[in-house]
Amino acid sequence: MSYVSTLMALAIGAASPLIATAGQWEGPLNGITAEVVTQGYQAYSTSSASLAKLSVALCNAPSEQALAATQAAFKINAQDWQQLQWLNFGPVTYFMRYYAFEYWPDKKGVTQRQLRTLAQGDPSVMDAPKFWTSASIAVRGLTAIESLLYHPDFTPTQSSNHCRLLDKITAHHAQSADAVFKQWQEGKAQDWVFDEEGMGFDPEKVALEQFLQQWIEHMSAVKDAKLETPIGYNGRENLKLAEFYRSDLSLKAIQKNLQTYREIYHAGSPSLFDIAKQNDARLAEQLESLLTDNIKLALLLPDDFFNGHYTKEERFNLAQPLVKSISNSQSTLSNIVTTLGFQIGFNSRDGD
Amino acid sequence: MLSRRSFLMLSGTLITTPTWAALSQQEAGAALYASAYSLDKNTHFFALFDDEGSISWTAPLSQRAHAPVIHPRQSIVGIVGRRPGFFMDFFDVSSNQRIKRIEPSKDHHFYGHALFSADGTQLITQENYYPTGEGKIFIRDWPSGNILQSFSSNGIGPHESVFLNDQVLVIANGGLMTHPREDRNILNLDTMQSNVTYLSLKEGRILNQATHHEALHQLSIRHLDVNQKGTVALGFQYQGDMWDQVPLVALSRLDRPELDYLPMPEDIRVRFKQYCGSVCFDKSGDILAISTPRGGLVAFWHVETKTFLGVENCRDVCGLVSTSNAHEFLLTSGTGAQLKSNPVQNTSEMIKNHTNIQWDNHFRQINIENYA
Repeated sequence: MSYVSTLMALAIGAASPLIATAGQWEGPLNGITAEVVTQGYQAYSTSSASLAKLSVALCNAPSEQALAATQAAFKINAQDWQQLQWLNFGPVTYFMRYYAFEYWPDKKGVTQRQLRTLAQGDPSVMDAPKFWTSASIAVRGLTAIESLLYHPDFTPTQSSNHCRLLDKITAHHAQSADAVFKQWQEGKAQDWVFDEEGMGFDPEKVALEQFLQQWIEHMSAVKDAKLETPIGYNGRENLKLAEFYRSDLSLKAIQKNLQTYREIYHAGSPSLFDIAKQNDARLAEQLESLLTDNIKLALLLPDDFFNGHYTKEERFNLAQPLVKSISNSQSTLSNIVTTLGFQIGFNSRDGD
Repeated sequence: MLSRRSFLMLSGTLITTPTWAALSQQEAGAALYASAYSLDKNTHFFALFDDEGSISWTAPLSQRAHAPVIHPRQSIVGIVGRRPGFFMDFFDVSSNQRIKRIEPSKDHHFYGHALFSADGTQLITQENYYPTGEGKIFIRDWPSGNILQSFSSNGIGPHESVFLNDQVLVIANGGLMTHPREDRNILNLDTMQSNVTYLSLKEGRILNQATHHEALHQLSIRHLDVNQKGTVALGFQYQGDMWDQVPLVALSRLDRPELDYLPMPEDIRVRFKQYCGSVCFDKSGDILAISTPRGGLVAFWHVETKTFLGVENCRDVCGLVSTSNAHEFLLTSGTGAQLKSNPVQNTSEMIKNHTNIQWDNHFRQINIENYA
């Protein structure tokens, strides 16, 4: 009898999705939280502080060299953000910080309009204690900083008002980045999920589910908003819709996002990759291969992909392999997480 | 067009369809609920379940559906294909047979919702005349499905409608112009404007129409419910940026030209992610519930005082109906949960969790007692 039971158990084990056990998701959840998110915010906080410091130096002694140094610090900071952009979850959701860190796509030019208004007004308003709690998210982060450093309407080396604006915004931005880092350092992902009474609630699994859902959704954003939309893949070309196009970071941002995807997949012990491999080795390896291809294909795109002299058709042809690869990665990741027993939004991702 | 032979056969089937009361062997007051569900991307069903969450009847569907429609007398349930919908399937629960499929007329599609008149002789459908994008309301004969009358919905995208009374239909014109050849792409994002229209079914005349001011033109009025006092609750889906601070819920009345936006704490509004799913009053009409699958919660208000009461957390929740008890709601989610929630008593009870089932957007109650 026990022999039959063992055989049946083995048969069920081979045919069923991974059966959830207590602590099963600890490895990937803790790994992603520590290695991708917390470390990412540490780097982001450090580079935000450096950007703020260089902005002060620029305003104290304006020069082209100081401007170039501040622009370089901005680029490092904006790239650090790309490691974190996939996750609108946890401390970054407080005070609309996620949208304040990057107000994009700013289709109506709200940031520049509000920056002009601020630059023309009394700069001391920004010293008021409650200014930043009520300030528009359009002027609180990287999008505004990029405008002040790169938009021809703003001349921080010549206008003390413009520079003061830069100084204030970078200081606030650095404080926000540091606050999020500290909250991640002191807390854990499970603190940020909402308890569901009477449902056998597993905060670890629900937190990882949120991570996975946001990762899948970010893949769509990279493919659609960052790559397809500006080059007019499915419509009219408008290269100004590319992310951070003034600072020429549009392609580098995508490359960083795609590198982060692989880090998410392999973070922790066991990692999501390890668990997926145990469940369905073929599917797990397929995603591994696609995530690697994504990085290679993005690196193969010419550095001037977004700002060089290419026809729309040329850009389409250059982008097509990457568009397809990201799309395949998204479906494969969805398949993997579904077979692992996660619910990634039947109604929330496809309602009406 | 049905042949005479088909018509006679169909009429025979429908005439012999038992009433809900005759069908039910349950005690008086027992309730059944109708909902579509999916097992995976390609496997879809329509089901009835009871007060304890146990599924008592299922029928396979060829595609994913959206909202059920319940015949008020006979034991017939229908389900409308999701937008752009090209079918409405009707089933006789007693025989477990699909008894009818209604398809939209040429160049039209359904929006996922429909409703029967109180006497069950007419079926009202909201449709898109997609060559122009004009919203249409069709009054169809039941059971033939033939169109008896058609009206303009007086807007674009009439997603859901409810009866204010026998003569007045309240329509949520969502404002989104779409064309089936472009899937669900919004073709009028820059110019869209939604409205709620009170339409006289006698004359096709607008009795009242309310909309948002221009700055909120991308706020789509999508789902609605009406209580015994004639107050209409509206749930919105915002097509603008995620960071915009926009109202997501409002009340409306036949005699008021303005929408009355309901307050909620900002941290809860942010969790809605600009998206309301189902809108539902409780049995007393005093409590309003709005689900948001993107936010994983249902929010509650006391209607008279417009007081925000709190939330019930439930991942991927969308389906929402009032139960036969005042202040109590039944919720269904894409994770398979069926949950009873009473925001006045502050109680919630998981009645069943079908972990392999994904309950679809909307479900409806069949109150056997009401139909006896």
